[in-house]
Amino acid sequence: MAAPQLRILVAVKHGVDVGLARADRTTGVVALDTAPRKTSDFDRNAVEEAVRIRERLGGRVTAISVGSASAREALRDAVAIGADDAILVTDPAVPVFDTRAVSRVLAAVSRTLGGFDLFLLGEGSSDHFAGLVGPRVAGELGVADVAYVRKLTVDATGVVAEKDLERELEVVRASFPVIVTVGQEINTPRLPTFMATLKASKKEIRQLSVAEIGLDAAHLDPTVRIDRAAVPATTRKQVTITGNTPDEVARTLVDALRTEGALP
Amino acid sequence: MSPESVLCWSEDPDLAGQLVRLARSVASGPEDRVFAASFDPPSDDGSRRIAEAGAHVLIRPNPAGPASTDPHVVASELRALVDTSHVTLVLLGSTKRGREIAGRLAGLLDAPAETGVARVHLDAGAVVVEREMLSGNALAQETLIARPAVVAIMPDVSASSPPPTVPVVQQVPSTSPAPLSERLELRPKPSGGVRLESAERIVTIGRGLQKKDDLVLIEALATALGASVGCTRPLAAEAGWLSDDHWIGLTGHRVKPRLYIAIGVSGAVQHLVGMRDSQTVVAINKDPNAPIFGQADYRVTGDLYAVVPALTKALDAK
Ligand SMILES: Cc1cc2nc3c(=O)[nH]c(=O)nc-3n(C[C@H](O)[C@H](O)[C@H](O)COP(=O)(O)OP(=O)(O)OC[C@H]3O[C@@H](n4cnc5c(N)ncnc54)[C@H](O)[C@@H]3O)c2cc1C
Repeated sequence: MAAPQLRILVAVKHGVDVGLARADRTTGVVALDTAPRKTSDFDRNAVEEAVRIRERLGGRVTAISVGSASAREALRDAVAIGADDAILVTDPAVPVFDTRAVSRVLAAVSRTLGGFDLFLLGEGSSDHFAGLVGPRVAGELGVADVAYVRKLTVDATGVVAEKDLERELEVVRASFPVIVTVGQEINTPRLPTFMATLKASKKEIRQLSVAEIGLDAAHLDPTVRIDRAAVPATTRKQVTITGNTPDEVARTLVDALRTEGALP
Repeated sequence: MSPESVLCWSEDPDLAGQLVRLARSVASGPEDRVFAASFDPPSDDGSRRIAEAGAHVLIRPNPAGPASTDPHVVASELRALVDTSHVTLVLLGSTKRGREIAGRLAGLLDAPAETGVARVHLDAGAVVVEREMLSGNALAQETLIARPAVVAIMPDVSASSPPPTVPVVQQVPSTSPAPLSERLELRPKPSGGVRLESAERIVTIGRGLQKKDDLVLIEALATALGASVGCTRPLAAEAGWLSDDHWIGLTGHRVKPRLYIAIGVSGAVQHLVGMRDSQTVVAINKDPNAPIFGQADYRVTGDLYAVVPALTKALDAK
């Protein structure tokens, strides 16, 4: 009997493009709903890691995105890197900025798919960067989770993962099913070839509504409201230090810093 | 309004003490209560210090020995305390472990959660938080509508010092959840021995530095200034010229020194978010259009290889 195939899920977010989001000139307010979007940085690392594991051990990689129709872009990115299947949960009932709703949807999709061995996510999204979704899905499902992973070894029954903490590295072993979150230090995502990108653009994306994954839309009401997101005004002095020689520049700067009391 | 019951926990006892002080200033009503969870032995000095900060400390020592760090165990134990103490607000530290536990616990409680929180207050029963968004480009105000709510607080958030209370340390039985993961190893990361969070002055070097050996120029300047050396992500994560404790930014350390000198640093948002709270900022960059100049009090356009030695000399001369 052949060994059962590894079932790998990976979540991808089509989040606000932090490089392109523009603030209102007078108020600084960023309109999150209409801001340009792109695939969240660490999610590419999660997809790359999933694909590498499949390349080594076999199995199937299913990419899942929760969002509006534009989230298809994130799924195409995932397929171009090498994901086998793509699922989009799009439903006006899902408040995409609410980590509770998104986590409940991801947990429900995994149940609808009949479970998983390994579920990979980015450890934080470029726009929200809360680091909540992966552990939150694990809490909901009652499965193991390892966050902030920089090195991941997978065998037939589970993972050994190296967690990057502020001042320590922790090596942890967990059996399947397990949820792992990763950052950009774990790998360098491949640049998809032209052919892979072309194929991804034609890939069928399975679209599911909230009802189709067994959730009641009424239970996804937002519990967190973003009242305001604004770029803070800068209040720096912006003094240009000039001089004819580096020594002169240096002396002028030192004098200015002394006057400010910024030097010992 | 019904009284608040706040539960604080952090794996770092100093941070746990800060959370307790914050909790007491946020929930200061006569009937509000502040608890702190600890998984250390009752004899441990940490739980006494947390109690002295003004919390009723609930200890759930692990009968099996040293406290487990398995996220499932920690979150399940906290969840049990939320239930028994009718907790309305959980305050955790926004460290990596703290954010992981925040997510798991929120999943168990089906509760709203937020991390990286710099300010928190209560408004008509809702929890209002301020945090960064968009990789630090923006500050957001968010309202957590449902209760209990789970909020992870950035280290070193200041709170007014509450009046002294009688420390209470109480032992409560553990629910002894079985761990879902097992620690194989814990080792310190390579370290340059700096703690940038508390540094008075920081000299930060970026990719403008051409080779590792040239770090001596930066170290000489740091010595002349009595400063610590910081760096951008590429120098730590990609080049490996400096250890992670020097790394400043979104995925590195957050700093707020009296003086911050950025040298050969372009000023990407993910870096700026780590140094925004610095008091005086100097930028030295050869590109007059580098974004870092928009965040600087003093701007020096020039080659770091000329400016830095001159600056060291000028400092040593006085
Ligand atoms: C999700 C995510 C998280 C990130 N987290 C962080 C983080 O925590 N911290 C962080 O720093 N970055 C982070 N980054 C990376 C960040 O986007 C930038 O790539 C990085 O900060 C750039 O580092 P740098 O300024 O050293 O290099 P560069 O952007 O390459 O800039 C080098 C600068 O040096 C100047 N220069 C070159 N030669 C000289 C010379 N001889 N004299 C003077 N100036 C010179 C150049 O003009 C240029 O401005 C993150 C990125 C992502 C996507």
